[in-house]
Amino acid sequence: MRVTLSGIRFSRGDWQLRADAGFSRGTHFIAGAVGSGKSTLALIMAGLITPDEGCVQRDGIDATMLSLQFPEAHVTGATLEDEVRSWGVDPAQVLAETGLAEKAGTPPLRLSRGELKRLELACVLARESDLLILDEPLGSLDCVQKRRLCERLRDRTTGITIIFSHEQHILPAVDAIWEMRDGVLVNHGSVPQALKAWGDSAPPHIRWAIARGILPANMRMKDVREAACRTCD
Amino acid sequence: MIELEGIHHHILAIPHLSLEEGKTAVIGANGSGKTTLLELCAGMNLPHRGCILIDGAGPRSCEVGWVCEFPDRNLLFERVVDEIASPLRFNFVEESIIGERVALISEQLAISHLLGSRTHDLSGGEKALVSLATASIMNPHVLVIDEADSHLDAGAAARMYDLVDRVGAPYMLYCTQDMQRAAAADRVLFLKEGGVEAYGPPDSVFSALRDTCFYPPLWRLDQCG
Repeated sequence: MRVTLSGIRFSRGDWQLRADAGFSRGTHFIAGAVGSGKSTLALIMAGLITPDEGCVQRDGIDATMLSLQFPEAHVTGATLEDEVRSWGVDPAQVLAETGLAEKAGTPPLRLSRGELKRLELACVLARESDLLILDEPLGSLDCVQKRRLCERLRDRTTGITIIFSHEQHILPAVDAIWEMRDGVLVNHGSVPQALKAWGDSAPPHIRWAIARGILPANMRMKDVREAACRTCD
Repeated sequence: MIELEGIHHHILAIPHLSLEEGKTAVIGANGSGKTTLLELCAGMNLPHRGCILIDGAGPRSCEVGWVCEFPDRNLLFERVVDEIASPLRFNFVEESIIGERVALISEQLAISHLLGSRTHDLSGGEKALVSLATASIMNPHVLVIDEADSHLDAGAAARMYDLVDRVGAPYMLYCTQDMQRAAAADRVLFLKEGGVEAYGPPDSVFSALRDTCFYPPLWRLDQCG
């Protein structure tokens, strides 16, 4: 199972996106500033944008799922129950899991943005997929839901997961870290060495650890604290 | 003071709350009523029951600046200079004064170089700063920022919040899911299921939240040594 980006080039005005990369089974984190091209690359990888040059090769991948940055873009149902059903998954299960069972008859756009994001992510994750692409999945979620999502993603042991995010504090455990820098996809390598390669654009707790000569096992706050406390002892 | 008395509005139920001058960060879980509260304080909605007074006046009698969660969805005009000038034009202010005020606020927020740009050509961070300038040009008594940092990267969000002080609004209310940013406010208001769980200086509010994920993450590292 592998996704290969070969000579991808995509232009919008003066701005250009470039990507050459291979993604194997596991969880890949793609960081990057707003406007660096993360969402565009997510859409290219999902096959929703055709690049000007190059191709996306998906080997051994039957089902692809994409969670869009803005949850309202997914909405097709008139009520929460309809919405979940539109994904082909069981409303009772998803609504119970998201704590939204009491609002089953509510129009989805009446939810707060964080609640709607939680609902749409639960629908995306309820579907089996070989390639799972999540564009800013942590945006708008409160810290409890961010943590829950990070744990949920850890349970996904099959397939390729690609997380595009500029989140700085509550992060999942991942296998590899990449970064979009001014439209160019940069490979920082596998964790934990990737945490060093990330440099100045890494989240503050990672920079905090690296500056003290500490290399955490992964990029979660918990990993940094464990590594730091070991050093203290 | 922003005084809230007997407020019942959708999920919100606040018997009494007095918000002091300065920067107040509003925090809480998704759906806890943060945006609903900000909309009431801004006069965008009137409470079903209860009353809000800002230094003795209703929110609709006060000048309020609002930076929404998606700054780019609120842009009305093609050119940055027209966008920033729009609240003054809607108030029939003379063009010569408008020019001065636009130049001043753009200088304060370090975006003078953007005045001739098209709003659609701006980056996300630049759009947020243009929205902040537009929200600030009427010298608001209350400046509200509704989770605009959710969709900004760390650098762009930090730039915006660093510049907010230059606006000089007596009251600034912002909601955020970034507890590090909330900890930088003068006071923190923690909402839970529509009610006020805690209100006070960041130290006292967060000390009660030590065992939760609402505790500012970098504070834990400082304590680790």
